[in-house]
Amino acid sequence: MNLVNNFYAYLWPGVTMQEMMKYGNNCNSYLVANALPGNKHVLVDPGQVVNETRQKCLDRLISEIKKDGLKIEDVGLIINTHAHPDHYGASEEIRKMSGAQVAIGKEENEFLKLASGEMSQALKSMGFEMPEIHPDLYLSEGELRLGKDLVAQIILIPGHSDGHIGIYWPKEKIFMGGDLVFDGSTGRVDIPGGSAEALKASIELIAKLDIEYLLTGHQYGSPGIIKGKDEIKHNFEIIRRGIFPYL
Amino acid sequence: MSGEDKELKSAFDIAMEKARKLGGLSAEDKRRLREEELSDIGQALGKRYLSGLSIRDVELELGKYKEDRQILIRCILAFLVDKISLTEPGDIERVLEAIRHFSESPKVIEDIRGLISEYRRAGEQSRQEIRSKLGTARRKALARKGISGSAVEPAIEASPEWLEVKQGLDTSYQKRLKRITLPLQTL
Repeated sequence: MNLVNNFYAYLWPGVTMQEMMKYGNNCNSYLVANALPGNKHVLVDPGQVVNETRQKCLDRLISEIKKDGLKIEDVGLIINTHAHPDHYGASEEIRKMSGAQVAIGKEENEFLKLASGEMSQALKSMGFEMPEIHPDLYLSEGELRLGKDLVAQIILIPGHSDGHIGIYWPKEKIFMGGDLVFDGSTGRVDIPGGSAEALKASIELIAKLDIEYLLTGHQYGSPGIIKGKDEIKHNFEIIRRGIFPYL
Repeated sequence: MSGEDKELKSAFDIAMEKARKLGGLSAEDKRRLREEELSDIGQALGKRYLSGLSIRDVELELGKYKEDRQILIRCILAFLVDKISLTEPGDIERVLEAIRHFSESPKVIEDIRGLISEYRRAGEQSRQEIRSKLGTARRKALARKGISGSAVEPAIEASPEWLEVKQGLDTSYQKRLKRITLPLQTL
């Protein structure tokens, strides 16, 4: 689904309870078309290959992208906002199809090392199987330049995970926040690497940005995209009042 | 006869065969068989210890094998030492606790800790060296693909250069670990 200019959104079904039950868990994916030389695309959070309800998440993403006249083979860069399998799981599969470079937050890579070692059993017991990922590059706070004229700011937003990154596109006023905030709620902080205090600080940091499109990591019973400055401001206010006291 | 019966019969047959054979075994063979059996028991105890069994409970188990206590301790420690990973030292504190309890050998513990720190320092230094050697070329390669900026840092962990250096480090430090823990096999 085209959002604005070359930005596309592929939302995992889950606005209604019925959808959530049927489709299970997977993240929303976002794509910036023709951002790289050779008309290659940037894909943010590819999601899983297959999820816990046996939904073929990657097949669905490929088919949705195709409906917009784009091809998964043309993905040149995959950016993962954080190292949870429902976000990065399909990275290596898509790399095989497209030869794309794979990126993740630098600090998040430390979590990945732990997760494949001493933390693997704890994560497994919480239902997290950790698929392989071999990043070609790390992203830390700063400027990310893509192709000739696309610029994004990489912002470290820990809380849901230790090295979680957000991607802010100042020209388009778009913020891709992974599992920082949703419509009326926030990412959970009870997974290894999570921190309520860090999440609150990250939310306050992002609330200061000039955002027209807040692109969230999941729908979880509410729309995955929050449009318009006022709506976004209102959402942050709801979270401050309704969620912060319980984090 | 059900599959389960077959299995039971088969296990019984094996036990009978073993008993018959034991009658004809030399003292040396009997000792070897006993050592194998104790090694299995030691490994199982070591495994249970790493899964959370307390030292006190390990001691209770050892109490059942008064004559073979020392052999069993050697087997447990051999199993635990084998589980020491320099790259992911997750269970290291549990292993060191067992060594401290059974061997009263502070030198071995100190040496293992020292080796792990040294391995980490050497690994980080090599990583930095490889990073500065490959970093510029990788950055240029990414820029050719249209990816650049201050947020970008090329990863070197999957490069053949780093994997080769890491393998060399792992081999040499594992050898040193074996040498350090040798005294535990002669307790």
